[in-house]
Amino acid sequence: MPLELHTLVAGFPFEWNYIRSIIEVSLYVSLTAVVLSTLVSVPVALFVGFKEFRGKTLCTSIINTGMGFPSVVVGLLVLFTVSNDGPLGSWDLVFTPEAMIISQFVLAAPVITGVSLAAVSSVEQNVRDAAYAMGGTRFDVALVTIKEARYGIATAVLAGFGRAISEVGSVLIVGGNIAGSDGTSVTRTLTTAIQLEARQGRFETAMILGAILVVLVLFINAIVVRLGNGGGRYG
Amino acid sequence: MTLDARTVQYTHGSEPVFEGVSLSVSSGEVVGIIGPSGVGKSTLLRLLALFDAPTQGSITYENEDVWQLSEHKRLEYRRRIGMVFQEASLFDASVRHNVTYGLRIRQSWRKRLRDELSRIIGQPDETSEATRALETVGLGEKTTQDVSSLSGGERQRVAFARALAYEPEFLLLDEPTSDLDPRNTAVIEDAVLEAKERGIGVVIATHDMHQAERITDRVAVFLGTERIEVGDTDTIFSDPTDDRTQKFIEGELLY
Repeated sequence: MPLELHTLVAGFPFEWNYIRSIIEVSLYVSLTAVVLSTLVSVPVALFVGFKEFRGKTLCTSIINTGMGFPSVVVGLLVLFTVSNDGPLGSWDLVFTPEAMIISQFVLAAPVITGVSLAAVSSVEQNVRDAAYAMGGTRFDVALVTIKEARYGIATAVLAGFGRAISEVGSVLIVGGNIAGSDGTSVTRTLTTAIQLEARQGRFETAMILGAILVVLVLFINAIVVRLGNGGGRYG
Repeated sequence: MTLDARTVQYTHGSEPVFEGVSLSVSSGEVVGIIGPSGVGKSTLLRLLALFDAPTQGSITYENEDVWQLSEHKRLEYRRRIGMVFQEASLFDASVRHNVTYGLRIRQSWRKRLRDELSRIIGQPDETSEATRALETVGLGEKTTQDVSSLSGGERQRVAFARALAYEPEFLLLDEPTSDLDPRNTAVIEDAVLEAKERGIGVVIATHDMHQAERITDRVAVFLGTERIEVGDTDTIFSDPTDDRTQKFIEGELLY
C-alpha cells in the first residue's frame, strides 16, 4: 500500500509546524557548527601542514584521534562544561541549540581539520613557491593552497556536516530533545525525533523524517560540491 | 638598476651549500650560472628572489640591503622580481588565470574581490599585459584552455609568461628548459632575449653549455661550494682563466 504523507502526519500532535521546526533546528545547529568548524579547521590545517614546530606529530595525532572521538563522551563533556557548575555555567546554555552547536563543533572540527590537513599537504611545494615568487604574501600563498586543495576541503566539509547532522548521542545529552507545548521544536533535531518516534512505535513517521534527513544531506552535498568546484573550474 | 649577491654564504643544516659567493645582474643583461647539479645554483637563485636570507653576506637591490628592510619594503622589492622554476608549477586553472595571477595579487582587496565575483558569474579577467606575455611565448591563442590540456613544453611557456606578465625588473630562471624539446627551448630562449631587449635583467641557471653560450652576456661558473670564475661569456668559453672551468666546459671535470 503506498504511503500517504498526509495520512501519516495527520496523526501528529503538531503536524507541519512540528516537522518544519525540527528541520529548522537541525539545519541551524548543524550548519552553524560546520561553518564555525570550517573557519577554525582550515587555518589550523594550513598551519599544521606547513609550519614546522615542536609537538607537530602530537598535534596531528590529537586531530586524528578526535576524528573518532565517541559522540556520547563529547556530549557528556559539553554538558559538564555548560552546566551550572561548569566553566560556561553562567551562560545558561543547558538544553539549548547553542549547547548542541558546541557539541557538534567539537565533533566536526577534528574531521574537517584531519581531512583538510591531508588535502593541503598534498599541494606541491613548488606551486606554493610559484605563488610566493610572483610576489604573493603568506596570506596569498595560503589562499592559493586552499584553491588547489578545494576538492579535498569540500570533502572535509561534507564529512564534517555528515558527522554533525547524523549525530544523535551528544545532542540528546546536551539538547534534551525538547519540543514546546505549542508543537515547536526547541532542541529536537531530525535524528533525535526519529529516535523518539521509532521508540514510540511510529515507524512510518520515523521513516518520513529519515527521508527528509537524507534529502537534506543530498541537497547540502550538492551545494558544497558546487562550491568546491569554485562555481565551476576557475578560469 | 642592479641586483647583487655580495659574498654570500648559505648553510643548510651544518654544511655550507656555498660560501663567499658574489654575483650581480644589471638591467638589460643576461647572466648565466653554470655548474653541475648540487652546487647550489637553485639556492643562489632563491636568495636573489628573496625567498631566504643568506647565512652570511647580503643581497642588495639598488644598493639597499634588502634583509635589513622591513617585511613590507622587502615585499615591494620581491614584487619587482620574477622567477621560473625547472618545473612549470602551474595552478590547477586556465592559462589566463595562471598568467594574470601576479597582476591580481598586486591589486587592492576591493578590486580582487570584485574581479573574483565577476569571474564566478562568467566574466574573465583579461589584461593586455597577460595577452602580451602569452604572445611572447606563442600561446596567445590558448588563454581559455585549462593548463591540464597543455603539453609539458607549453606548460613551461605559460610559467614563463606568468612571470613576465607583471613586467618584473629582474627575471630568475632555474633551468627552465632542462625538460623541454628543442622547439620549446628555442621559444623560451627567444623570449629571454626579448625580455633582455625590454631592459629586464635575467639570471639563468643552466647546465646546457650551448644555451649559456647562445643567450648569456656573462657567465658565472660554480664548482664545489664556490664560484670559481665570472666573466664575459665569450671569454669564459674561449679563454677561461681557471683550468677547472676549461675542463668543466669540455666535459672532462665531473662532480
